[in-house]
Parts: sequence; structure tokens; C-alpha cells
Amino acid sequence: MSPTLGSFRAGASPLHRLPAWSKVLTLFVWAIVSMIITDPVTALGLCAAALLLLVSILPSPKPTLKGLVFILFVAAMTASYQVYRGYVAAGIDIAADLVGLFALSLAVTGSTSMSEMLDFATRAARPFRRILPPTVPGLMFAIMLRTIPEISNIMRESRDAAKARGIRRSPSAFMIPTATRTVGFALDLGAALHARGIGDEALTDPPDSRRVRLTAPAGTN
Amino acid sequence: MIEFKEAAVVAPETGVPILHPTTLTLDERRITIIGANGSGKSTLARLINGLALPVSGSVHVDGLDTRKHGALVRRKVGFLFTDPSAQLIMPTALEDVMLSLRRVIRSKNERVKAALAALEDIGLGDKGDVSVNALSGGQRQLLALAGVLTATPLVVVADEPTTLLDLRWKAHVGALLHALPIQLIEVTHDLESATKAQRTLVIDEGSVVFDGSPVDAVAHYRDLMYRKAPESRA
Repeated sequence: MSPTLGSFRAGASPLHRLPAWSKVLTLFVWAIVSMIITDPVTALGLCAAALLLLVSILPSPKPTLKGLVFILFVAAMTASYQVYRGYVAAGIDIAADLVGLFALSLAVTGSTSMSEMLDFATRAARPFRRILPPTVPGLMFAIMLRTIPEISNIMRESRDAAKARGIRRSPSAFMIPTATRTVGFALDLGAALHARGIGDEALTDPPDSRRVRLTAPAGTN
Repeated sequence: MIEFKEAAVVAPETGVPILHPTTLTLDERRITIIGANGSGKSTLARLINGLALPVSGSVHVDGLDTRKHGALVRRKVGFLFTDPSAQLIMPTALEDVMLSLRRVIRSKNERVKAALAALEDIGLGDKGDVSVNALSGGQRQLLALAGVLTATPLVVVADEPTTLLDLRWKAHVGALLHALPIQLIEVTHDLESATKAQRTLVIDEGSVVFDGSPVDAVAHYRDLMYRKAPESRA
């Protein structure tokens, strides 16, 4: 899975125990504050604090490091451009802001389960319920996260299929099947949402007491 | 009880018939549907929960018209797809089952408890926090089934639920489906599994060409397919 998305790991850190809204609000305020403050020393301090918060949730090491290496590369490129133009302090500030915000967003997504995020997005969208059913924004976000690894799978399979037929250089041999299969996946996903009754907002009956119980056949699992 | 009254489906752009006018009453506990690829059996299955709508005629589930009461019908009819990947929406197993419960259980704690119980029932009790991408094909299909069952349907329609699974998972998922205490309508290419029913429909070129005992239906289907296979004519 993408290092920045869906990296939630259950835990008991202080960040895990905070409600989702407070973490999203902190991230939002942090982003504004770090953009307003242009002092490189403060920016480095904020960046270090964000990294410590990230460490405090004990994230999965490999995807987190991969993500950090990527953002360090972006930050280094941006900073070196500023330094080249003669703005050393601005270069440090921007790089520290980028790394700090990235680390904090990883800390937030890594310590908040998708259900909590969904509940939060649903509550946050409630004032707009006349335009949009409240569950829709959260659901859209969840589907986006779920679709990313599927699309990367489709891309890999399309590339392999083109290679297996000896077509290596033609972009259309890779792009066209990827696009059509992605649309196919979207249609299947839509049918599944429909079949599961997700989004049928108007119909909210009290909980049903029927429950279908299963007994797993012995020795097959 | 599921009733088809002259229900027909045509391809939207070309007008080519996908399912010719079909009249059926499906009330047996275990019904299987077999037929060649493209014969119209998936369309017939999708008509039952309103995922496909008839262009003429009607389909009723428990007296509810799938055209007028689609959402209500889908709450009575659970649907299991061939590829569970498209059916799983949330990033982890527990969250995916909880999504099915959002509509019926408001309290989050209650929802977690019910979802954990559903995962335990189906044998995925230890996979709650596991990413759905990390599950095997068989485990994904079990999870999809758990999501369907937590919505407490009266009928489960399964469209080739074991086609993508290896033999071990095929046996396991098949056994679970057949142990369900509710009506099961299964579309399948697995002729052995097709015989584990009270009634089997054979679909060919958009029509029900055989409707009766599973053993006779499989014999009819084999005969039909071998007659059509180009190699067997030579």
C-alpha cells in the first residue's frame, strides 16, 4: 500500500487515544502556523516536534521511512533551489515545513483508524446535508484509499501483459488496458456499493434482531 | 419468494436480447444456475436484487417489485460477487464489516462488537486489523460474505463465488455457503457444487432451457456444451 495512505496501526500512544477531530484540527492549525512563521530555527523546531510525534505512535518502519525519504528528496530539491537563489533561511524554512507537515500527517493517519476518520468526516459534513448526504464525503475518501492499490495492481498486470506479448515501447499497449480495466473495476465497485445498500440514506430502520450465524467447517481454515 | 414475470433484459445500446422473457418462481432453499459464459446467467442473478432491471416484465422479492423498491429489495437479498476485491471497500477487515452495519447500528462500540462477532463466526477473528490487500483470495471472499451476512438478508445470491479460489478455499467457501440457514441462489461453473441443490436452472443464449433436478440439469448442460464445442464436432 502507498506509504502515506491507510497506514493505520492499532496502538495505545497518546495520539492514538486522541479523538480524530482534534488531530485533524491540530494538523490544520500546524500547517497555517508553519506557513506564517518564516524563522528557520522555529521551523526546524516544529519539524523536530512533528518527527517526535510520528515516532511516538510507533509506525510501520518500512513504509514510513520510504515516505520520509521521498519527502526529504522533495524538500532537498526545493531548498537547493532557494539556496541557489540566495535565500538560505527561506530554503531551510520551506524544507523543514514540508518534512514537518508530512511527518505530522503520517502521525495522524497512522494513529487514526479509517472508521474514526469516516465518523469524523460524516459529522463534519452534517451542516451541508441539504446538498450532500453526510456519509458521502467519508465514503468517497475510503473508496479513494481502497482504489489506489487496485489501480497499481491493474497497471502492473497491464505492463506484464504487454511485455509478455513482446510490446515494450508502446505506451498505448499499457495505457489503454489500464484505463479500460480501471473503469471496469469502478463499475464493479459501484455495483458492490449498490448491492450492499451503502448510500441508501433515506432508509434507516431500527436494528434488526435477525442475525445469520455461521459455523466454519472444521479443518478447512 | 422470488418471482419473475415475463422479465426480459436487452443490451442498452444494441438492443440485443440478453435474457428473453422469463417466468419463474424461486422458493427452494438451494437453487443453482449453470450455463456457458455470456449465456445470461449473471444477468438473471442480478435481476433478483435489482442490480439489473428488466426492460419488460417484472421481478418481485417477497412481493416487492425490484424496480419500485430497489433499496428495500437489496436489504433482503445479499449479493456475493465473483471478485471479492471490488466488493471490499474499507482498508481493514473490521472496518469493512462495520461499514455494512452503519445503517443498522448507530453506536460505534456496538458496531465494533457486532463486526468482531461476525468476523469470529466466519473464521477471520484474528484478521480484524489486517489490510484487505494483505488477505488471500479465499479470505477476501469470506470477508465479503461476512459483510453480506451482517446485513441479515433473507436470500443470498452468489455469482460464481468460488471461481477465483483454489481447491481448499473453494471447499471452505462452498461449505459455508451451503450451511447458511437462509435461501441461497448460486451461479456456478462448478458442476459438482451445482448438484448440491434442490433445483438447478440451465441458461443458454438468454433462456432457461432446463429447470429441474440438479443431476438431470448437469447432464443436460454437458450434452448441450459438448454438442456446441467445435472440437467435439470434428
